[in-house]
Amino acid sequence: MPISALQAVSKAQNGVGAFILQCKRMEFNFCDWAGSSKGMRSFLKHSLSQFAKENPQIEIIVAPRPNQTPIIRGTYINGREKVIPVDGLEIQQILQKAQLLRNSSGAKLKRITRPVISLNESVRGIFSPFHGKKHVI
Amino acid sequence: MLLVRAIQRSLLRPQVIETCSSFKTVSSITPRFSLPIRSRTIATTPHLRISSAPPKTSAPTSPPPKTPPTVPSDPALAAHEPLALLTALKVQPSKYIIVKIQGFSFLITPGDKVVLPFLLKDVRVGDTLRLTHATTIGSRDYTMNGNPYIDERLFECRATFLEETAEPLRKKEKKKRRTRRIKTVKSKHRYSVLRIKELIINDVPPAVAAAAGGST
Repeated sequence: MPISALQAVSKAQNGVGAFILQCKRMEFNFCDWAGSSKGMRSFLKHSLSQFAKENPQIEIIVAPRPNQTPIIRGTYINGREKVIPVDGLEIQQILQKAQLLRNSSGAKLKRITRPVISLNESVRGIFSPFHGKKHVI
Repeated sequence: MLLVRAIQRSLLRPQVIETCSSFKTVSSITPRFSLPIRSRTIATTPHLRISSAPPKTSAPTSPPPKTPPTVPSDPALAAHEPLALLTALKVQPSKYIIVKIQGFSFLITPGDKVVLPFLLKDVRVGDTLRLTHATTIGSRDYTMNGNPYIDERLFECRATFLEETAEPLRKKEKKKRRTRRIKTVKSKHRYSVLRIKELIINDVPPAVAAAAGGST
């Protein structure tokens, strides 16, 4: 019977070689009539072009969504979406929300117990009482 | 001279607790540009023993030399000892480093993700950071400890700033006995995440090594 090689898939380690921004698309929805969209409309007029220039990797879509709260919808490489409602916010606050979406990885928020997440085996190996400094009785 | 080389070679064999102490005394007369490396006893794994000599069934662990090797009296030789250990550490396949970032220590290897319990200021996602405060660099058989930190020039440890996240919103309810009022406290700590790109141990520049050797 022929021996076949083990199927191995490389583990994704973004940042080790190259870094790829995880946020790939941001959609800005607003309403032309509603007052809660006021900040969003002025953001789209004044601040959005600067934000888009700074982040050429992100596809930016601006679409009216009548009679709904204004939102920013971020789509990530892992397939997840993050939606932030920006009703009643001012330009600076909306820009902060856009930065938040940009800086995120799209992963679901998780409570972290240990700070270091590693795929590597331990460097010094697992303890063995038979190796190393011998106990003298 | 031959004795010193023999000592070094003996370290690569699985033996000898006594040589550890000899290097401790050597390090007391190390040059200014000191390399506080010590070697750990190497585990007695079968493959190491087989490579050194044909297997002898009579004595599976050959008895170690009883007297500790003498400390080399020549100071110039003493300068070479820690450099040889540094080379030995550098050549080992896997290494770890204990870095301090804003007072927090992390034991990391290349490729790890480090979730810092705070947000890093003045950094953008995608930036490369160089970690300079290291207390320890180690491998399976060698450890280099800093005093309190290892000289920056000896290693390069770089990390990519991956993202800024947070933990899920936590709510804590606070209520006293025999009172109906409930106070809710919300917590949502923000974190910065780094990915360790590389851990390189540099060779000691020959000018520095020569200067250090001459100063003892």
